Amino acid sequence: MFADELKTLRRLGFRHVLLQVLNFMSVLASGFMMWKGLGLVTNTESPIVVVLSGSMEPAFHRGDLLFLTNPLDQRYQAGDITVYKIPGADIPIVHRVLETHDGVTIKKGRIAASRIAHDQLLLTKGDNNYIDDLELYQGLEWLERQHIVGKVRGFLPYVGYVTIAMNDFPQLKYALLGGLGLLALVQRE
Amino acid sequence: MHTIYARINNTSAFLSSCVTALLVAIALSSLAFTADPKGQLAVASIQVHPGNARRYANKKQEFAFVNFNVSAGTHLVMSARAVSHVHACSKPDLSPLFNWNTKQLFLYLSAEYTDKKGVANEVVIWDRIVRRKEDALISTTGRNKYVFRELSASFRNIPPANYSLKYNVMPYVGVLTYGEAARTPQPVAFPELQSLS
Amino acid sequence: MSVVEACPHRLTQSQTLAMQAYLQQVFEGKIDFEGQKKVETLVRTVIIAATIGSFLLGFALQSLRITLGAFSIACVVLYLIVIPPWPMYRRHPVQWLQAKQGKVQ
Repeated sequence: MFADELKTLRRLGFRHVLLQVLNFMSVLASGFMMWKGLGLVTNTESPIVVVLSGSMEPAFHRGDLLFLTNPLDQRYQAGDITVYKIPGADIPIVHRVLETHDGVTIKKGRIAASRIAHDQLLLTKGDNNYIDDLELYQGLEWLERQHIVGKVRGFLPYVGYVTIAMNDFPQLKYALLGGLGLLALVQRE
Repeated sequence: MHTIYARINNTSAFLSSCVTALLVAIALSSLAFTADPKGQLAVASIQVHPGNARRYANKKQEFAFVNFNVSAGTHLVMSARAVSHVHACSKPDLSPLFNWNTKQLFLYLSAEYTDKKGVANEVVIWDRIVRRKEDALISTTGRNKYVFRELSASFRNIPPANYSLKYNVMPYVGVLTYGEAARTPQPVAFPELQSLS
Repeated sequence: MSVVEACPHRLTQSQTLAMQAYLQQVFEGKIDFEGQKKVETLVRTVIIAATIGSFLLGFALQSLRITLGAFSIACVVLYLIVIPPWPMYRRHPVQWLQAKQGKVQ
């Protein structure tokens, strides 16, 4: 079975293998382009995120997919669900806004990139947590707009679980990548 | 489609596009439901007490304690007399917000006020998750779940605040929507500081 | 061949080859051209009908569970009908012409 594939590979020749590699890479590149394009349109560094923790249960569970936007000209409101990333923390957190205070700046002498919404202080809380996130802010008193990755606009359940599984079992990732690569190589048009 | 492998491959590819179409249709269908239930919210009393800030034990901070009545109903008569009797006569009901694509409602009660320096504040003081249509008859008398404090640490000279009950409809699949179910008819002033006796 | 040595009954080489061919046939599950056409139309109509039907059913009964349940049942049944090489897909084997004698050798 495997020898058969090798035989076809030999028959198709080196140029064909190169072509398939090129095809594979163009698929990867177009995926990356779509991702970055979506990021530009929604003004966020990662327009789609996977929920990793249960702190927003029962709204979001591990593996749910969230679609984010981060409109420049809109302020955040209490009740919005935000994804934020504290400098120094390795993973972003999805929590709901509990308090907003507009028109305050902590650091003086800085010019905001947008007319509004950049001098906003936020406090967040997970729906499944009893208290607010002050302990998660690593010494910060408030969240600022610069820490916010985006606002949750859309929701798709379970689909992101694949990535969690791949993180939990790295072998699965390599098996999947290897399998895909092999398929792309030996596939005839 | 000649081998099993090819059949599985082709069928699954077509199946996944149809599943996507189905999910998109479900997500879009919830836009067709445009229920906008309205109810009543009344602030019964507010007290302001002194305390210590959470992080800095020797920093003084004032905390407001709000008692409120919520009743959200769809068929309220908005006359002055009805408003005053609202807790007795309304059938509170947010259940029109539940359709086939509603996973849960996130209800939250927030206080909004703008201080004299122009800082606009919005603070959530109470929330509730409603997961079933049967539980969507909201009629509570409660007090704030979360600490209500002011940035300046004192509620002195802070203008009256508006209180509103808002909801976030969270779907099984699709777009999150927000709405407002009730609002206090006029702003409610913060009282003078009371010391704990 | 290592396969032959590993076999307890010491099959002859021709027997092994026949077995291999048979196994390959089972795993490949080839069907004829008419069968392929049948499968193609079946897959299209059933999946599209299941999508629309389950959506309407669920919407009418206001239950997402009914939608997804109906859809997945329809899909499982479809897979059972379409994936294995049932005899009904193999009723029209290709009629090869007789090899012309003497030319090829």
